[in-house]
Amino acid sequence: MANAYLFSIMATVAIFTLLALSLNIITGYAGQAMMGIAAFFGIGAYTAAILTTNGTPFLLALLAAMVVTGVFGALLGVISLRLQEDFLAITTIGINFVMAAVFNTLKITGGTLGLTTKKPEIFGVRMNNFHFFILTVIIVVIVCLLINKMRKSWFGMALASIENDPAAARSFGINVSKYQILAFIIGTALSGLAGGIYSHRMGFISATDFAFTVSIQVVSMCVIGGLGTIRGPIFGAILITSLPEILRFADNYRALVYSLLLVIMVRFMPGGLLGDDSPIWKLIVKGYRKFVPRKKTRADLIAEEAVSAGAAPGTQSVKQEGGLA
Amino acid sequence: MEELMKIEGLKMYFGGLKAIDGFDLTVNKGETLGIIGPNGAGKTTLFNAICGVYKPTGGKVTLEGKDITGTPAYKMAKMGFARTFQISKPLRGLTIFDNVLAAAGVHEYTGIGSYFHKSHTDDIEDKVEEIILETGLAEVANKKASDVSLGYLRRLEIARALVTDPKLILLDEPCAGLSNFAINEITELILHLKEQKRSIVLIEHNLPLTMKVCDRITVLSYGKKICEGTPEYVKNDKQVIEAYLGEEDND
Amino acid sequence: MFEQQFMNALAIGSVYALTAMGATLIYGIMGILDIANAGAYLVGAYLGWYIYHATGNIALAFIGSAIAVGALGVLLQKTIYSPILAKQNTLSIIPLVAAVGLFTMSSDVIRLICGPYSKSYNFKTSADSIQIGPIVLIPAWILIFALTALCLLVLWFLLNRTKLGLAWRSTANDSEIAKVCGVDTNKSMALSYILGYGFAAIAGIMVGILYNSITPALGEVPSYKMLAIIVLGGLGNPVGTVIAGLLIGFVEVFVSAYTNLPIPKDAIAFVVLIIMLLIKPEGLMGQKNKM
Repeated sequence: MANAYLFSIMATVAIFTLLALSLNIITGYAGQAMMGIAAFFGIGAYTAAILTTNGTPFLLALLAAMVVTGVFGALLGVISLRLQEDFLAITTIGINFVMAAVFNTLKITGGTLGLTTKKPEIFGVRMNNFHFFILTVIIVVIVCLLINKMRKSWFGMALASIENDPAAARSFGINVSKYQILAFIIGTALSGLAGGIYSHRMGFISATDFAFTVSIQVVSMCVIGGLGTIRGPIFGAILITSLPEILRFADNYRALVYSLLLVIMVRFMPGGLLGDDSPIWKLIVKGYRKFVPRKKTRADLIAEEAVSAGAAPGTQSVKQEGGLA
Repeated sequence: MEELMKIEGLKMYFGGLKAIDGFDLTVNKGETLGIIGPNGAGKTTLFNAICGVYKPTGGKVTLEGKDITGTPAYKMAKMGFARTFQISKPLRGLTIFDNVLAAAGVHEYTGIGSYFHKSHTDDIEDKVEEIILETGLAEVANKKASDVSLGYLRRLEIARALVTDPKLILLDEPCAGLSNFAINEITELILHLKEQKRSIVLIEHNLPLTMKVCDRITVLSYGKKICEGTPEYVKNDKQVIEAYLGEEDND
Repeated sequence: MFEQQFMNALAIGSVYALTAMGATLIYGIMGILDIANAGAYLVGAYLGWYIYHATGNIALAFIGSAIAVGALGVLLQKTIYSPILAKQNTLSIIPLVAAVGLFTMSSDVIRLICGPYSKSYNFKTSADSIQIGPIVLIPAWILIFALTALCLLVLWFLLNRTKLGLAWRSTANDSEIAKVCGVDTNKSMALSYILGYGFAAIAGIMVGILYNSITPALGEVPSYKMLAIIVLGGLGNPVGTVIAGLLIGFVEVFVSAYTNLPIPKDAIAFVVLIIMLLIKPEGLMGQKNKM
């Protein structure tokens, strides 16, 4: 049954990829410190599980999980407007602990016993790990395409502006509060979707599946891969989810290796292994450019023309350098 | 002359501190108005109270006769107020070109709807290119904002203001911290804007510059207007000389 | 009964205050939410255990452990935190992620070296308990009260009555200006870590004595509860931290003693925190425009 084992890992990887991408929208693109994504992952997981147990079709339950989680996300978005960055980080950590406690206590979430889900059917086929893997990969591909479209839209420009400087963003017409809340809604709704798939693929969930350590894992995926890119969280999710399997021979040292890796990463490469500033990524891009030359942007053309017209770049700036920034 | 913006009895208190205390000002279309005053006179606070960063404690601000007091900053931008920051606020991770382009989208940021509109269209890029050439940013257009010098960043601030097609441009100490060479360049740029008959309010600490480019000057001291008139008039006003010399004594 | 709960709450609150004090001092200077402070608490408790069991001298355990862990803190500050902060354009969660990594590492290193099972301090005193009127005092409590008071006194003296403390306070206020004025901000950072990690180590030993058990998981609960306390105290405010630590100690003890709340004791700190942030977003003792 080597294949079944492989598919089980691949399904997990796909689900965590989706989760990492959802966090990336909030923290990577909108720049909001979110340390409690597992709480929302959990809300989606329990919502979908409770719904299908009561006879709701699986796909409909996933949709409902997104909506419910998104509503909670909107709530957090509203709260986030009142908080400064560090306060937001701690508040989201707090929300994670409180939600885990709530999952562990409420009757509807099964308390300490957790919830068992039935394997759902899609088109008359009872889903196994392979099906979950395919379903999640399809969703991940769609999400990546949507994110890519976002980055080329004014919506993406608004998030990038907010991430860089909220005061500047306001000065050219961006309603920062509105976009911040939207980013929270979209990000958490996606994490709820990932949760809905997770609870059905696992067949059983309990509060420990949504503990703070899970949030940290997802943050690590994004940071190790590279926040604010699409490739980063995907790469990070694959690496971190399969690392325990690779390190199986050194089971006792797994957590140590993992945490050591994390510290070394943020110390020497805080932009992530595949972030825009990473030497590894630059090398990859350089190799790729040998075969496919980069299409020049309008900015490149303007700069080249200006430089060839006389003023070498930086000549003025040398003289202009002055005083405090 | 046609009146563009009018401020009546503007007050901005922070607890017991009266940063702006009953300030009146009229800005006419096409004029360049300077606001000067010693350090701590409340110049930047005044800008922030006008542009919606702070909600004024009292008073009224009207734009073309419409009351806009306390409107949030992002709405002010859409209404045609373009402001620059004394401490440059570039989008560091973006290129200079994209910095200007982000501001060019001033009317595109509508919320969810903005997802369905592409940002880098030919029309917008043409407009951004025009502004970049006008403000002398061409040679650094494809550089990241984090990699260019302060002089360029100040011009970027002005470029971002211009690209929004503003009714009124508010410049907050565009020359603070710059070398003489860079100050001359910014002065040229402001004179160029003046030729275009743009309406400008300029806050400056640099008196010669203000005298050179402004049609009228208002002097602010401890949150109150102490003098207003042509550069020539202001230069010879007793109170103004006192406010400035008095400050120098303390130094 | 009430008096007993009161003293219990005071003891727990004192430990919280002392643990969170380290994180507060570090936040005050570096602006880092240093979860790894809970690692210092764990390492301190184990180091203290070894020293106590080798020498039988509890004072030596406290002092030796505090100094060693404080030195470790400075090492981490120089090799990990300061270089991370020196890089431009890093997201604010990056130092936090580093701290989480260091904390996880500390738990795992302790587990691998000292074994996964619990160890007992077996701290012996001449009397098992002291009766004063209706209150039964446990000697460990007295030790905790006295040590916490001593630590806070030392801290107060250092910050308010020494040149080093003046440098620390000016760095905390505005490190750029302090630097321009000739303050060695590196010294202030090092001081934060020596005191911060040293205090955490002392708090770790106190908890080891109070509950007579230490495990590699000792730091888990303090790691996040500490964050709630320093925020409640208004991030970077030492006096606020003491008040918030005591407050959480009291709320926890009395809520679990007199009510039937459906949430676990350790989540209470965050419920208090979230409610408070909704009412007063700048923290219990925070200043609105300081940040």
